[in-house]
Parts: sequence; C-alpha cells; structure tokens
Amino acid sequence: MKTVYSAPAVTNAGRSRRKIQPVNSIRMVVLLIGTVAMLYPLLWVVTIALKGNNDIFTTTPQWFPKEFHFENFVEGTKQIHFWLTFKNSMIITVISTVGQVASSIVVGYGLSRLRFPGRKLWFSSFIGSMMLPGFVGLVPVFYLFSQLGWYNTWLPLIVPSYLGNPAFTFLFIQFLSTIPKSFDEAAKMDGAGDTQILWRILVPMSLPVVVTMIIFAFNGSWNQYLEPLIYLVDQNKWTLSVALASFASNWSTQWNYFMAADLLYMMPLLIIFFFGQKYFMQGLGSVNSAGLK
Amino acid sequence: MKTSRRYNRFEWVKGYLHISPSIIGFGIFVAYPLIMSIYYALTKWDGINKPEFVGFDNFNYLFTVDPVFWKALRVTFYYVLINVPASLIGGLALAMLLNKKLPFIRFFRTAFYLPTVLPMIATLTLWKFIYHPQYGLANRVLHLFGSPPVNWLSDERLALFSVILAGLWQIGGGMIIFLSGLQSIPQDLYEASGMDGARGWAVFRNVTLPLIAPILFLQLILGIIGSFQSFAQVQVMTGGGPNYATELLNFKIYADVFSSKMFGYGIAEVWILFLIIMLFTVITYRYSNQFVHYENDNR
Repeated sequence: MKTVYSAPAVTNAGRSRRKIQPVNSIRMVVLLIGTVAMLYPLLWVVTIALKGNNDIFTTTPQWFPKEFHFENFVEGTKQIHFWLTFKNSMIITVISTVGQVASSIVVGYGLSRLRFPGRKLWFSSFIGSMMLPGFVGLVPVFYLFSQLGWYNTWLPLIVPSYLGNPAFTFLFIQFLSTIPKSFDEAAKMDGAGDTQILWRILVPMSLPVVVTMIIFAFNGSWNQYLEPLIYLVDQNKWTLSVALASFASNWSTQWNYFMAADLLYMMPLLIIFFFGQKYFMQGLGSVNSAGLK
Repeated sequence: MKTSRRYNRFEWVKGYLHISPSIIGFGIFVAYPLIMSIYYALTKWDGINKPEFVGFDNFNYLFTVDPVFWKALRVTFYYVLINVPASLIGGLALAMLLNKKLPFIRFFRTAFYLPTVLPMIATLTLWKFIYHPQYGLANRVLHLFGSPPVNWLSDERLALFSVILAGLWQIGGGMIIFLSGLQSIPQDLYEASGMDGARGWAVFRNVTLPLIAPILFLQLILGIIGSFQSFAQVQVMTGGGPNYATELLNFKIYADVFSSKMFGYGIAEVWILFLIIMLFTVITYRYSNQFVHYENDNR
C-alpha cells in the first residue's frame, strides 16, 4: 500500500501514462467549467442568431431556438448594409496587409543586409518606437491627415501601413539573421540585384515568418476600430467594426439580426485561425524569444 | 580607389532607400507628434482655428477645476491594478493547468484560446448583450443559481468590474504565451528537483517561476502599457458611465478631443497619461531586475 501511495510523484516525474489520478480529475472539472465559460457565450450568439423575432425576448429563458431562422443572416445583413461594409473592411484590410508586410520586408532587408552609416541608430529608433503608446501620436496625426484632406477617406487607414511596421521588421530581421549570407553572395555572382535577392531568394526562404506577418497584419487591420471611428463620417465608407459598434449601441436593435451580423464579422478571423494555427503559435513564440533577449 | 568610393555611396543611397518607409513613418508617427504635442499642450485649440498659446492653463484646469479628471485617473488606476494582475496570474495558472498531460488537452487549449482570436469589437458588443439586465446571458446564469438579477453595466459600483470581467474572457492570450514558455523548460529540471524531494509549491517557486520570469516580466510591462491605453472596452460597453464610473483616462482623452473639440486640452491629458505609463514602466523595470534572471545573460 505504501508504495502505491508514494507512486504519483515518481510517475509524474517519469511521465508514465497512468490512469486518471484524483488530482487530475479535479483539474479536469476546473477545465470543463472554464471551457463552458469560454465557449457558451459563442454558442449563445449562434442560438440567438437563429431565433425568430418573437423568441428573443421571453421572460422564461429559452436556451435553444424553437425553430431555426436562417433568414436572419439575410435580414440582419440588410439592416446595416453589411455586405457593403464587409467589402469596405475587406478592401482596407487586404491593401494594408500587403503594405505592412511588403514595407516591413524591404526595411528589414535594408537594416540587416545592407551596410550604410546610421544603420544601428535607425534600427534602435524603429524598435524603440514600439514602446511609444499609440495614443500619443493620435491627435497631431489626425490634424495632419485632416490638413491633407484625408478626413472621411480611407487614406489614413491605408497609407500608414506602407510605412513599415516595427514589430514585423524586427521579426523579419530576426529570421534573416538565420539565413547565411552565402546565399546572397551566390545570387550576386549570378548577377542578381537586391530586389531579386530579396524577393526571389530570401522571401521564399522566410515563408513561415512571412505568413505569420500576413496573419497578424490581417487580424490587426480587421480589428482596427479607433482610426475608422475618428476618420470616417459617411456610413457607406464605414468598416465593420464601426458599423457593428453603432448597431449595438442601440438597445432597440433586433438582437437576432445583430448576432447574425456579428457572427459573419467574426468569420474571416475564425477561418484564418483554424487554417493558420501553426503560424499563430509561431508568431507568439517569437514574442517570447524577443522577451528572452 | 575611385570605383570603391562610388560603390560606397551607392550602398549608402541603397540602404536609405530601403529603410525610407520607416524613416517617413518614424517622422510622421513619432518625431512630429512628440515635438508638436509639447506646443499643442500649451494651447487652446479646437482643431480648426489656429492654436492660441495659453501657457499652463490646460494643466491648471486639469488639476484644479476639471470635475472628471481625478475620478478618471482613479478609475484608470483601479482598472490597471485589477486587470493586469488578474490576467497575469489567471493566465499563468491556466497555462500550468493546460501544460499537464490530460485527456482532450488540445481541445481545452483551443477552447481557451478561441475567444482571443475574435475581433475586439465583436466580443465587446457581444458582452454588452450578455450584460443586458433583462435578457442577457449573465443574469440568466445568475438566475440558474437562484440569484436576483444585477445591473452589470448601469450599477455604479459594478460597472468597472463588469468591464474587467468581460476582458478576462480573453485570458487565453496570456495563457498561450505562458504555455509556450512552460513547454520550453527542460523536463530534466523537474526530474532533478523531484529527486531532491521538492513538491508542488517548492517546484513552482524554485524551478518554474525563475525560468519563466523573463516572459512574465515582458507580459507585465506590455500589460501595463496596454491597460493604461484601454479605450474601446468603455467606448463600446458603457460610454464612460454611469456617473463616470468607467471613465478611463484614454476614453476621456478621446471624448475631450473628438466630441468636445478640445484638442489642446486633450493633448495636455495625453502628456499626463504618457508620463504615468513611463513612470510605471520604469518602476516595474527597476523592481523586476532584482527578480528576473536571464538565461543567456552575458553581462
């Protein structure tokens, strides 16, 4: 009996596969409760999105829809010009994702592969600028862009993307430092210029980090709220984030329509998450290695 | 000789051409706002007409007259002081739980991470409905446990707590970072400490904690900087109310600038918030240096 009692510590350390221990069943219960708390709100969105107009506001809680009203996805999207707004968000997101990734790649290449005076200083300035809280620049930049006549246009949401993203630049430089310079030199021997070395050789070799950058850029842009909120006045120029926030700010909103639209807004990011999980984790891993430096 | 010099100049131009996007970006988003903000903070300015220099009037008004400023500052401190430790400790505890070899562990990890991949506005609007006093999910859950309904967002004492609670739905973001940190700890360290007779808390204190301290520290700094800047939570869910109970400073800045058109005043507030964030970062950095041990420390 005694040996059995002292067994868990040894087996834990030895990582053998034992049957579920008492401690583990407590852990399982905690995890199960937590999982319900994490997933139920999402399930709730789905059930409401499928409920009929009269079934949303019932005094007795109704946990599952009586009948499935898929037409909410049509009605709900009509109410806020969903597809127009979806298209706006998609155009802005795609254009700025391309810009962020491409400009960060070019800047990263310049900082890590080219030799010129002031390189170190610029590198630390760009990296240091990540520590500057975003709101510090907000008002002067808003004023500047308004003076340029960019108020109520998409330009303030798009143009900054083409000016390099310090975090992505850092990520790309880190990855480039693992690729031996002999590749560049061999290509140079064959008469390749910088553009070719970068886009034909280095970028294909850095594909994992480029995909990570694309995913994070897409997410960031799809999520963007403050900038569209302060720059865009016309409803037909809005992005989904602004449109949904305004839809929800009204208590008379039809809940089932709102939830249907909200689900559709989540969809692109959910799809990216399920297909790009590996790259998500990779990106987060590099956050860690940056912290360890 | 001549060719090599020309080559160098060529390299020089090429280098600056490559990094020019970031130089322009640095100018527009860092240098220009920082320099101009110093002047703007000392002006009365509506964002349309010319700024009018008023000296330290903005700060004077801020500290002595503005009825909301001190309250906003207090609310912001409460928010940061609850939100940051809760998400750090909760995230770490969750990561340790999810680092165990349990059945369905991959499913659990995904379930806890899932809420963090959703768009921020989608989750905030969703929580606004969850907190609806009559038909919201939160009160229905309370009802299940036989508790009377609660005014989550319209009760002055509860609103800030509700905002923080909604944010904890995204605890998986920190969890996943801690988890990857925990998984990089060599297993033989645990075996060695197990052989030395260390159990539970002692293992955590002497093996786990020191090894993930750098990650913990980075998350702490990022958490502080991020929490002080929280804005959308309040803008979407409460609008700063009821009775300014959720008036985070960054939201007040937004409202003062873009609703009340007090650009100069807002920028004065930006400086206050900026200095507070700097102060907190420096203090955290100083304190953490005593505890954080870097594995590859060559100093």
